[in-house]
Amino acid sequence: MTRHWLFVGLSCAAALVTLAFIQVEQDAEHEEEEAAESVQPIAFPHDQHSGSEPGQNRMDCQYCHFSAERSVDAGIPSVASCWGCHQAIPGTDARAEVAKIGEYVRSGEPIPWVRIYKVSDHVRFPHMRHVNAGLTCQECHGEVQETGVIEEPSPVWGGDNMGWCVSCHRKPDENGEQQASTDCAVCHY
Amino acid sequence: MAAGMERRDFLKVVGVGGAGATVAGCSTGEVEKLLPYVTHPEEITPGVATWYTTACGGCEAGCGMWARTREGRVVKLEGNPNHPVSQGALCSVGHASLQHLYNPDRHPGPLVREGDRFRSGGWDEAERFLASKIDPETRVLFLTGRCGPTLDRLFDEFTAAVNGTRVRYLPGSNSPALAAAAIVYGADAPSLGDIGAARTLISFGDDFTEGTGSVEGGRGLARSNALAPDGSKGRFVYVGPRLSATGMNADEWVPVRPGTEALLALGMASAIATDPEAAGSWAPLLRQHTPATTAAATGVEEADIRELAHRFASEGPSLALGPGAGGSHRRATQAHVAVALLNHVAGAAGGTVRVGSGPNPTGSYGEMADAVEAMAAGAVDVVLVHGINPVYEMPRSSGFREAFEQVPFKASFAQARDETSALADLVLPDRHFLESWGDTNPRAGIRALQQPVMQPVPHFDSKQTGDVLLSVAAHLGSDPGASTFFDYLREAYRAEAGEGDFDARWREYLRSGVVEIDADPDPEDTADSAAAPALMPMGAVDFTPARFDEGGDLTLLVHPSPRLGSGEHANQPWLQELPDPASKITWHSWLEINPHTAEERGLGDGDIVSVASAHGTVEVPVWLYPGIREDAVALALGGGHTAMGRWADGNGVNALDLLPSDTDELSGAFAATSVTVTVTPTGSRRALATVSGSDDDFDRPIAPAVALADLGHAEEHEDEHHGELDELQGLGGFVPVPAEDGAPTAFPLEGSRHGPYENSHESEPRWAMAIDLDKCTGCSACVTACQAENNVPWVGEEQLLGGREMSWIRLERYYKQVDATRAGPLDVRFLPMLCQHCGNAPCEPVCPVYATYHTPDGLNAQIYNRCVGTRYCANNCPYKVRVFNWLRYADGVPEPMNWQWNPDVTVRGNGVMEKCSFCVQRIREAENRAALEEGRPVRDGEVVPACQQSCAAEAIVFGNIRDPESRVARVTDDERTYRVLDEFINTQPAVSYLKKVTHHAASSGAGHAP
Repeated sequence: MTRHWLFVGLSCAAALVTLAFIQVEQDAEHEEEEAAESVQPIAFPHDQHSGSEPGQNRMDCQYCHFSAERSVDAGIPSVASCWGCHQAIPGTDARAEVAKIGEYVRSGEPIPWVRIYKVSDHVRFPHMRHVNAGLTCQECHGEVQETGVIEEPSPVWGGDNMGWCVSCHRKPDENGEQQASTDCAVCHY
Repeated sequence: MAAGMERRDFLKVVGVGGAGATVAGCSTGEVEKLLPYVTHPEEITPGVATWYTTACGGCEAGCGMWARTREGRVVKLEGNPNHPVSQGALCSVGHASLQHLYNPDRHPGPLVREGDRFRSGGWDEAERFLASKIDPETRVLFLTGRCGPTLDRLFDEFTAAVNGTRVRYLPGSNSPALAAAAIVYGADAPSLGDIGAARTLISFGDDFTEGTGSVEGGRGLARSNALAPDGSKGRFVYVGPRLSATGMNADEWVPVRPGTEALLALGMASAIATDPEAAGSWAPLLRQHTPATTAAATGVEEADIRELAHRFASEGPSLALGPGAGGSHRRATQAHVAVALLNHVAGAAGGTVRVGSGPNPTGSYGEMADAVEAMAAGAVDVVLVHGINPVYEMPRSSGFREAFEQVPFKASFAQARDETSALADLVLPDRHFLESWGDTNPRAGIRALQQPVMQPVPHFDSKQTGDVLLSVAAHLGSDPGASTFFDYLREAYRAEAGEGDFDARWREYLRSGVVEIDADPDPEDTADSAAAPALMPMGAVDFTPARFDEGGDLTLLVHPSPRLGSGEHANQPWLQELPDPASKITWHSWLEINPHTAEERGLGDGDIVSVASAHGTVEVPVWLYPGIREDAVALALGGGHTAMGRWADGNGVNALDLLPSDTDELSGAFAATSVTVTVTPTGSRRALATVSGSDDDFDRPIAPAVALADLGHAEEHEDEHHGELDELQGLGGFVPVPAEDGAPTAFPLEGSRHGPYENSHESEPRWAMAIDLDKCTGCSACVTACQAENNVPWVGEEQLLGGREMSWIRLERYYKQVDATRAGPLDVRFLPMLCQHCGNAPCEPVCPVYATYHTPDGLNAQIYNRCVGTRYCANNCPYKVRVFNWLRYADGVPEPMNWQWNPDVTVRGNGVMEKCSFCVQRIREAENRAALEEGRPVRDGEVVPACQQSCAAEAIVFGNIRDPESRVARVTDDERTYRVLDEFINTQPAVSYLKKVTHHAASSGAGHAP
């Protein structure tokens, strides 16, 4: 009788161990896939474009993120927009990366940038109101112009932490009044 | 215990397995991609809507449209204010054409029949295949339905090039009006009634606020009925055996015996024409049909006929309208002739009636019946079908299906699945009108271009039929003079535009949405210059009442559905779930029956009956309706599809199954009301999928009215409600809480005291709405507009039966006075009920998580991400306007219909309460725009909620009520203004209603019913 229970118990244990390993292996695969997915398709150096160090190009953020001051969306430059400069500028130390733009132009495919900054779907964040209120991009996105390839949000970014938004909205303006509304329905609808 | 695994070891193993499972559960969110344009289209700014003008293809009215697109997808349609037909409004069918565009049941591409199935083909193959079937000897039959004038010309040219025969047909097309215009005036187009200009309006069964032309009709009715500054008010009389949704707006209802409208009109004309000779050669007819002689046949008392006639003649301008699609029977042309004579003797012809200016019908049923005969006789080798679905839209008794199946080669240009394309040998799917070039010409003098407002929906490999025909013509060796339909269309307009810079003109046509070509006669001018036109000599017209096929004891009234038309809109879930304006039933068919008739037969709401005519039988649940004669029952068209798609198939019954293939003798129009039926209970029952709570407001001040005579004497009646208010409080009802600071101190919460009663935040606007119930026609366009704008999902019949409808606006309908036995005053009241945005909102204090609260600008906000779904707020809402998302209804929206979602509004998940937001996204957008322009405040009229935008009657006004100059403040400052239930429960709503004005003494709703 005891042997019988032992047998059943061992079989169950073996099955569970197998399942656990399969699970762990699948997770590992999944993570690898995800890691590959989360690599930017082109190692785009923000610092090279908009940094102010010698050899960097001091471009204005809104040259590429063209709709930040007039739309809720900041805008992602079109492939043609990149190519506008880069068909003449092959790059100095990352020619292979620059050449990828040409591939996208030729194939007519968009560049599948990995999204780093995202607020939840139930939040309405109008870029233009913030840009026109005098906020700099860096106040939310950090010192992008000093960052190379962006793989993760800046430590400045508060993400979905609403307290981060509200702390700024609550600051007093020149008249000593709260500078922006903290009414829920201003952002959530 | 023997050696082996210890219990502890076993648990360890389980622990490891469990850990694995836990890791899986915690994996990070999906990586999201940002896809830029390859080349950025100049006109698009991401996050900012781009608007295009076009014209609606939903019905023949061809309303001008503005299409709102976001990142290349059309997300919302609105009326184009420049267009003379729509003047900025749009009906439910127009809004729902988005669901036709993104309909997942559209044909995926060209289909070629192989045995019982279709296989996909390429366009080149399909076009060559069609061309190969046509040679000079082939007898081609081209059946066409709705199409624009230039496509119509191309169809004619194509048919001539292949030496074929063309037949135009649209169900419900008003050919009796044309036949009558020819008989009475010798005109080659029907007469056009200027509804808005009439002060006494009599409709002999023309349901002009429903279906085709409802936008113009609804606006006209609101203007005709409006209160004038001198205190007078228009009067609307509806004549017909059944009160349609249009009829419900009437001040008086004359429930005439079915098929006798002509006699009533003649009786009235005879009473008006003191000198019958004024009617020229028609005089003998008027002498013969006096009120006395017509009373018996029509079932209307002589005194009532005289009274009607007297008002029609003396309270002008007056206008009588002949029966429309809802009143078509075997004597429909006679009714139109009699109505034309009535207008003529009352002096309306040349005034409110513009002879020969109306929209021409699209063919007639008679021509279609001839085509069926030809097909059945084997005289057709190839049949092409565009813009109609005759296998469904022709009655089974016509034999269309069998005859069609006999044709050796059948090609369909249907855009989406339907019963006709299911039988075709070749399907060449057309593009939706929002993806194609075209034009509209609803009647003389009004033209507009249709332009693609987006790239074709990529899920469907479609091609515009104009392009296909041009290509097939080229394959056949003929030269149509253009290679694309765009060129063909442009050249047509270039030829007409005459001298000058055509490119500039073309751009202007597209920008404004209206084509103005000098050559077109201005209808206003012709109407002014034309005196009353001369009557034709009287011909031999038989005015005996219409005959109905025997076999039953109740006349069956068959009419188009205000939502589904003749069935062409049945696969659009917004329209399926839109409550019928009259019955408030959704999804399925119902048989309307008078409560007395039902009682005699022991029938109640939802009892399924077998309805049998000499031609067929259907089983359908009954709905008891006081607005139908006791000797009639009514059934709407549009149900009972079998091969149209996932939302249409299996819903309801097809009323055509009961009808013979018979026509109005003089015009060849289909006689839809042509049989009598027996109604037998089957013994089974079903719940009606209705959203109607109660037909009676139990004399609570929900939809009160005021009599015209009492206007201006409001103070005399001021005290009458107080007794009831005290009584309610005495019973332990809601005790009003003062809105000023006071007990209980914690309520209302800070920020919720922003009624018009307090002015603490004067810098903030207080958004408010006014709805004029005297204008509202109950058409329900606002309901669909709201659904489109606010991502309100449909829930389906099963969920709706469980009371889980999600609509944010409910169009309530209350009967106050409906008598189907004799002519007399009618009082049916409509009330669009939406969130009242109460200043003292009962929903707010009961929310445990502060998900619903009052914003400083006066909105009752609902914050979805705070909501935990307790539903206390819905429980406490006296207006029942909060809806709960029980399941993930939005997930049930299939690709590509989800392309329609408005990106400015959160798509809500389950477990969340939602309700009207006063289109807060539009308020915020206007605020953002104003802030960007030098930080100015929002101007009055800049925020237009979706419901107001679509309202043809202009019943809804929205704005900042703190600004005394705003339109909403001016409209609200009226003695008719009231707030629903406010005086009982002190909710202080931001929505003010203006009472309906009745000609007869009105029950105020707050006092006691007469």
